[in-house]
Amino acid sequence: MIKNLLHRFALRDKLLALIVPLLVLTLWQSVLSLHLFSDLILIPPLTLVSTFLELVGSGDLANNILASLQRVMVGFLLGGSLGFIFGVVTGLSPFMNRVLTPLIKALQQVPEFAWMPLIILLFGIDELAKVVFVSIGAFYPMLFNTYLGVSGVPKKYQELAWVFDYRRFRYLTKVIIPSALPSIITGIRLSLGLSWMFVVGAELFGADSGLGYMMTWGRQLFQIDIVMVGLIVIGAIGFAMNSLLLIIEKRLLSWRVSFDGRTL
Amino acid sequence: MTVEKGTLEIKNLSKSFIVDNNPLLVLNNINIKFPACAFISIIGGSGCGKTTLLRIMLGLDTSYDGEALMDGERIVGPGSNRGIVFQDHRLLPWLTVGENVAFGLDRLNRKEKKLLVDENLKLVGLSGFESAYPSQLSGGMAQRVAIARALANKPEILLLDEPLGALDALTRIHMQKELERLWLLEKITMIMVTHDVDEAIYLSDKVVIMSSRPGVIKKIIDIPSSRSRDRASSEFMQIKAEILKEFHLGTEYPFAYAI
Repeated sequence: MIKNLLHRFALRDKLLALIVPLLVLTLWQSVLSLHLFSDLILIPPLTLVSTFLELVGSGDLANNILASLQRVMVGFLLGGSLGFIFGVVTGLSPFMNRVLTPLIKALQQVPEFAWMPLIILLFGIDELAKVVFVSIGAFYPMLFNTYLGVSGVPKKYQELAWVFDYRRFRYLTKVIIPSALPSIITGIRLSLGLSWMFVVGAELFGADSGLGYMMTWGRQLFQIDIVMVGLIVIGAIGFAMNSLLLIIEKRLLSWRVSFDGRTL
Repeated sequence: MTVEKGTLEIKNLSKSFIVDNNPLLVLNNINIKFPACAFISIIGGSGCGKTTLLRIMLGLDTSYDGEALMDGERIVGPGSNRGIVFQDHRLLPWLTVGENVAFGLDRLNRKEKKLLVDENLKLVGLSGFESAYPSQLSGGMAQRVAIARALANKPEILLLDEPLGALDALTRIHMQKELERLWLLEKITMIMVTHDVDEAIYLSDKVVIMSSRPGVIKKIIDIPSSRSRDRASSEFMQIKAEILKEFHLGTEYPFAYAI
């Protein structure tokens, strides 16, 4: 009975989420029928569907998605692990925190794209440059959230660990990391989200594959429909990754009664 | 010289905290001996240093003047011969009940662990709750798990820091009976900090009364009567009056007669 009710609410939430996209589509279609813009600039929704199917059929879309995902994974693993390690170190040691944090905070103020010229000079314009660019984006959210979780382990758990003689590695793996896990998972989610945004940015600068490349190519050929399919696919994949991580988060943190996996 | 296991002795112990660059004396010249297998309560108002004294006995606080001796040896840190139950249960929320009880048994193998977990959960009446999470337990149940966790390590002394302070009145009375049962069963020394006079009289062989600023031992009262004490008996009331008098809360001149 209660479960049924909950299901019905969940269904209602999903229907509510569809209202705005449907409104946008309606608006889009009605502006089209006024013929204010050329059909080459404001693409009819149906054209997008056929372009999408074409790109799927030729395999172009899948190849470009794979290329982007690959860069994201490598960059995320690289930047995320570094962020995790720095977060644990600065969270555990006030000394290391004082030594490292000022520099990290200063570097964080540099806009991501301002790194591009330096990265190109150092690493060329090949895969490595793109991966480095992505990893810079992945680094900061992982670092700050890990730091928050690790430095925020309640004193009462530290005392408990002390009473039961948990030290060093055992203390880190059995007390610190589990206690910081909610924060760390938030870090992973934000980190992966930024990686996905930055990979497209990196591919806009110069690439021969990837969703960013596909969009640049579409713009150069004046095929706005390809650009728009790219936009929608990027949004959809980002949304799917976030949702997947929320599900994993909910599983891992099932011990938290108040946790319903609905944080932003 | 051999000392019976489970003996704790405090000699000429003083302890100061630094507050705004000035030393503040919280414990002044404490002398007390906790004999093996006794149940002793330390009672006093807030700020009398009773929790500080317990933390020193546990080994969480090691900067003090004087001596704190466990089985005749100076306490230099926490040790498995002393167990602790805090006021908040302090179960780790990401571990199940069973894993929490096994928290201090990390060095044993899986089989030995399981045996001790089962044994101690049964002891506190929570068999079958191994795979529940702390957030699914009531306050009383969580505190039972905390007691099982402390006992699983087979301590010689169990330190209890207001263990029932966060429970409602009825659960509390029930848990006092449970503590008595466990003490009779385990035959170990138990030292409990509390501010509940009834609880102290009901459970203890001796009640140590402390007064505040600085914390000193004001009086030690022996409770002679046998176990399963009747809270409504005249003997119980007399001891209660004697203790309350020390806090200037006596009823010698009830309000109605004073007018």
